[in-house]
Amino acid sequence: MASILNTAAEAGCFKTLLAAVAAAGLSEALEGQGPFTVFAPVDDAFAALPAGTVQTLVDNPPQLARILKYHVLAGTYLKAQLVSQSDWPSLEGAPIPIRRSEPFEVKNATVVNADIVCDNGVVHVIDRVILPG
Amino acid sequence: MIPPSTHKYADVIHRLEAGGSMLPDTPENLEQIIGIYKAYAVPMDFYWRDLLYIAERVFLNPLPAFKYFIPKEYMDLANSYSGDNSKLRIWRGGEKAHPELVAFMKHGETISMPKILHHLWHDRINMEFAEACMQAMFWHQDMGGRFNDYLESKEYLANADRAIKAYFKGNPLMLLLYKLFPEMFIEQVRQLSYYSNLGLFWEVMAPVFFEMSDLYNEGGIKSVPEAMDFLVNGIFAVAGRPIYHHVYIGNECIEIIPKSKGFTWLYEAALPYVEAVFYRTSPFRGTKSYNAQANQVPADQADFHYGILYADVYPVGSAGIPPTLLMQDMLHFLPAYLEATYQNHGRGDEDKLIQLGITFQRSMYNVTSAVIQALRCALLYPLNDPDPEHLLANRRFFEAQMDRFLRPEARLSDIQQQNYR
Repeated sequence: MASILNTAAEAGCFKTLLAAVAAAGLSEALEGQGPFTVFAPVDDAFAALPAGTVQTLVDNPPQLARILKYHVLAGTYLKAQLVSQSDWPSLEGAPIPIRRSEPFEVKNATVVNADIVCDNGVVHVIDRVILPG
Repeated sequence: MIPPSTHKYADVIHRLEAGGSMLPDTPENLEQIIGIYKAYAVPMDFYWRDLLYIAERVFLNPLPAFKYFIPKEYMDLANSYSGDNSKLRIWRGGEKAHPELVAFMKHGETISMPKILHHLWHDRINMEFAEACMQAMFWHQDMGGRFNDYLESKEYLANADRAIKAYFKGNPLMLLLYKLFPEMFIEQVRQLSYYSNLGLFWEVMAPVFFEMSDLYNEGGIKSVPEAMDFLVNGIFAVAGRPIYHHVYIGNECIEIIPKSKGFTWLYEAALPYVEAVFYRTSPFRGTKSYNAQANQVPADQADFHYGILYADVYPVGSAGIPPTLLMQDMLHFLPAYLEATYQNHGRGDEDKLIQLGITFQRSMYNVTSAVIQALRCALLYPLNDPDPEHLLANRRFFEAQMDRFLRPEARLSDIQQQNYR
């Protein structure tokens, strides 16, 4: 098995996410033992944000890190466990609501591919960038 | 796909669901709001510069008699969102203080004379308005974001302590007072952090409004929803801007709130600002009095409703009341087409401040619409989502937002009519 970041790199549809993780200085942490549960937005999800949104964040690593941490839970949680609870505490601090189990929806994003198990956690692929609030 | 809303403001909700604004899409509404955005942006260019000057340089000066006298360094301070060197250029214009602002500061309503005389004659930008907005944010506090919590943290107290000691180094009297009344000093620093917060917030809004005005003048914005969408895109584009508080003491920069705390323009400045200033503020002294004992002032701060979205502009329009100070500031920078509109309605020059205040109210309903649409976009679903459950979630969100305008003071019904002036 590969790590979360290697898995994402091999998939080829997380270029923006990986660049953002690197810009925020979170690569090392996500390469660590974890384990983590990562809700990974695909490139199209970042592209759907209005112009300038991602660039402003990339220019400001602490602010970018905060948004990215909202996509991560401490621990390994598969879909079956996630849907058993209405919300989960993100590493950012704000809760991530689980809005529906079928189709599997995390906040206002739909999970397009769940339960990709990695060395140091699990990845759920989502179609929108989720934001705290 | 979903049944019509039965809310009192169903028409407005359906308009929001169709991608519109709370403000009806009419050519006159568009002209009014763009004109007032431009008239607002010029004094705002002063406000943000002076707010940062006070937060960063005046700091704890016990007799800040000259805090409204912005030094050249801050008049020339490059706006992060305009000018050739800005990373994200929102306004095509220059990065220094706006030329109309510079001209007004020289001549005011009277003649060119030394700054001190303009100040004493009160022929100047009413910075007191900006401070009233800052105080509203400072006082209401619990409006989302993490800024206020941080002001109570040990880390913040240590940073503030370092800044206070550095600022009063060599001043035994003030250091003694600090030792005797530490909380008083810390509370002042907290307030100064809100000066910085609001300054950084408005640094963005001034170029946004200037650009909207330029786009409108060249035919680039043709409807109220287009104006709202420009604001929505702007909110997203700068959402991640850091909110911080740095103090410069001599050559030393002390980071009271470092950028590394991860505070953002959207969560720690914009949303608290809208809540504190557009909705809540506080009852102000004027021709209208409030009797707290008779429950005319809500017991819960969250129910405060003295912001521009609820203001009865006529009794509010008295000298010395914060919104009137802003109206008077905007009066100096009205585009010719708005001047003409006011001359053709009401009592012309006689009630121009009132007409202008109502225009401002319309324009802020449009800004609030942009915030509501941005939140819907960030937290909920696209307006054309094919899933009815998602559309119902959007509906519940819009209805909850409109519930805030059910109280009789709200002006949402009024702004639906063009003859409300």
